[in-house]
Amino acid sequence: MKLHRERLREGIWFFLMAGPALLGFLFLVLGPMLYSFYLSFTSYNVVDPPRWVGAENYLYLIQDDPAFWPSVKVTLIYAGVQIPLSLMIALGIALLLNNQVKALGAFRTIFYLPSLLPATASVVIWIWIFHPNYGLLNELLSKFGIAGPAWLNSTTWALPALIIMTLWSFGGAMIVFLAGLQGVPRGLYEAASIDGANAWHRFRHVTIPILSPVIFFNLVMGVIGAMKVFDQAYVFGAAMDKVPGGPARATLFYVLHLFQTAFNYFHMGLASAMAWMLFAVIALLTWLNFRLGRKWVHH
Amino acid sequence: MTVLRSILAACALAAVLAGCGPRPVDDGRTEVRWMVPVRWDRPFIEDFVRRFEADHPDIRVKVLWVPATQYQTKFKTLAAAGQAPDLVECGDVWIAYMLSFMYDVTELVERDRAEIGLDDFFPEVLSACQHEGRYYFLAAGMNVSLLYYNKSLFDRAGVAYPTDQWTWDDYIAAGNKIMELPDAGRGGVWGGDVETGWWGEWLIFVRQAGGTIFNEDLTRCVLDSPEAIAGLAMYHDRIFKHGFAPAPGYGPDNQFASGKIGMWYGGHTEKWKTYNAIPGLDWDVQVLPIGPNGREGGEIAIRAYGITRTSRNPEAAWTLMKYMVAPEHIRENVQRGGLSVRRSVAEEFLRRTDGQTRPHNMAAVYQQIRYALPLPRSTDYIELSLNIIQPEIDRMIRGDLTPEQAAANATRAANRFLDVVGSRRHLGDAKP
Repeated sequence: MKLHRERLREGIWFFLMAGPALLGFLFLVLGPMLYSFYLSFTSYNVVDPPRWVGAENYLYLIQDDPAFWPSVKVTLIYAGVQIPLSLMIALGIALLLNNQVKALGAFRTIFYLPSLLPATASVVIWIWIFHPNYGLLNELLSKFGIAGPAWLNSTTWALPALIIMTLWSFGGAMIVFLAGLQGVPRGLYEAASIDGANAWHRFRHVTIPILSPVIFFNLVMGVIGAMKVFDQAYVFGAAMDKVPGGPARATLFYVLHLFQTAFNYFHMGLASAMAWMLFAVIALLTWLNFRLGRKWVHH
Repeated sequence: MTVLRSILAACALAAVLAGCGPRPVDDGRTEVRWMVPVRWDRPFIEDFVRRFEADHPDIRVKVLWVPATQYQTKFKTLAAAGQAPDLVECGDVWIAYMLSFMYDVTELVERDRAEIGLDDFFPEVLSACQHEGRYYFLAAGMNVSLLYYNKSLFDRAGVAYPTDQWTWDDYIAAGNKIMELPDAGRGGVWGGDVETGWWGEWLIFVRQAGGTIFNEDLTRCVLDSPEAIAGLAMYHDRIFKHGFAPAPGYGPDNQFASGKIGMWYGGHTEKWKTYNAIPGLDWDVQVLPIGPNGREGGEIAIRAYGITRTSRNPEAAWTLMKYMVAPEHIRENVQRGGLSVRRSVAEEFLRRTDGQTRPHNMAAVYQQIRYALPLPRSTDYIELSLNIIQPEIDRMIRGDLTPEQAAANATRAANRFLDVVGSRRHLGDAKP
């Protein structure tokens, strides 16, 4: 009887403490999510009631929407290029900052600072760097006899320019790598050195395996982040070509396309279908990451 | 249990406090909620509201400031939530989108016809405010496409200024002549420039060539007609054939305002203030050159106001609307660099021309109105133009597609959109 009363009291306290979060999750997350799943099978413009259209939204996106596949392509290229590059840069800088050098704190702050810049401010700076006539980058290229392209106005170079720009903000991943590096036992390096391992061998066979959970974490977060790129692309396109995602959809990321579909043109059914497709892809990629991670992550 | 009681009491207190927000002041005045996009003219709007309230002590105006780029989104979400403002601003491109939310003001217009001075408005402006003969808006400002030109560059190149008899060939010849200047080309001056990212310029060429975007009942995209392709080719050839306009990105920043662009096709009267603030920028305007299909093709765009059909105080909102379009306020708008929607005010300023205020050739502005066309009244127009058609045009002017390919791609995608997703509720189907 006493046990029963204690359990009851524990239950009451549980719901009392977790209740607000649970209610929030039910009504502000799960509820809208399920509703958007329903909306994905309707034609809904916010003002008129939703009209059931079955799978038409999904079919239109896959078969007919001229912007859907370009936005998928842009997002995948970005993920495929930006994630490995940013991880390599972040790890490289973290390795350098893991050494005991003078003014280490200042260096760490300097390398982390760009991550604190709002995307809008960062884009404005980079727009000037990429300026075709007066930009720093083309000025530098001209020293080597190369006529630089009109980066942000070129359908070929706009996405690479955006990737270069986002590489600047590697600070978040760098900090996580740095924390991981500081957890590597010194003794392992000493033992490897005694066994004749050079710097590369120590990095390859000591640092990387021990750091693998951290690399895995950054990879998973990077993939999820790449699938959701929005603000840089929005400001980038709007500043250069008046239409976010431009020029000619060269920087039309998936989420940007979703945003425009929902909030510029009020095709809430279509946008919901896009959101659920994105959810499925992110879930699949994360699952794949975890499956493949078993082969190379040493916990 | 004491802890539990304390938590419940705190929750109850929070609930009570949550209901203690500011309440609307009830001072006996009728409130008009006016949604206004935040722009450079905010101080003038605030001053205007103060004067209106002083002249109409029984009406209080509550201005809802909204970022200009989010205006339509905000309006639609407010309307969906049953919180639409009483009075809204509408550019003519949005008329088709907003019509189903708007109050038919025809009876009010007819009742107060003399007071408003309806016959004083340019007929083209009044026509843009109507749908099927019914009034939904009254216009306070407008823009008309014109040929802007830099007189200094024309003088340096030894080219005579544009006349109202100019054709496309004259325009091309002048552009080419300016390119003979020693500082012409990348980083220097150009004969013309290309407006990218929206329909502002290419639609003029398409229409002047005899083409159009939609068929007459606005149900099919017909941008792949030979005439429309000829217009797109003109837009494209200035870069790739004639070479007097820079490829996107290679032209000077700030375009015509940089002083390095000889001619600007279409332009916008909103930019006049900027041009006039630039020392040494010697500019003027002319009617658009005559295209293969004649003079018609430039755009007329209005800035109009309308009452929402859910307005609780349409009479008070109407009083504010009438005040906005009164001659003295249109005159103020012209003094700030806008165009007059009223003939009397336009004539007054034409008579007052002092030889100093630019543009000097104001007569061209009002001449151009006669040949200007409104935008297609389709609820799908903006999405089709910006989201479906524009990317193909953008690829075309970057040399990735020919005009024929761009037109074919755009037309195919636009018609598929109309078949599957497009609301297909063009103006004729809208039921206000």
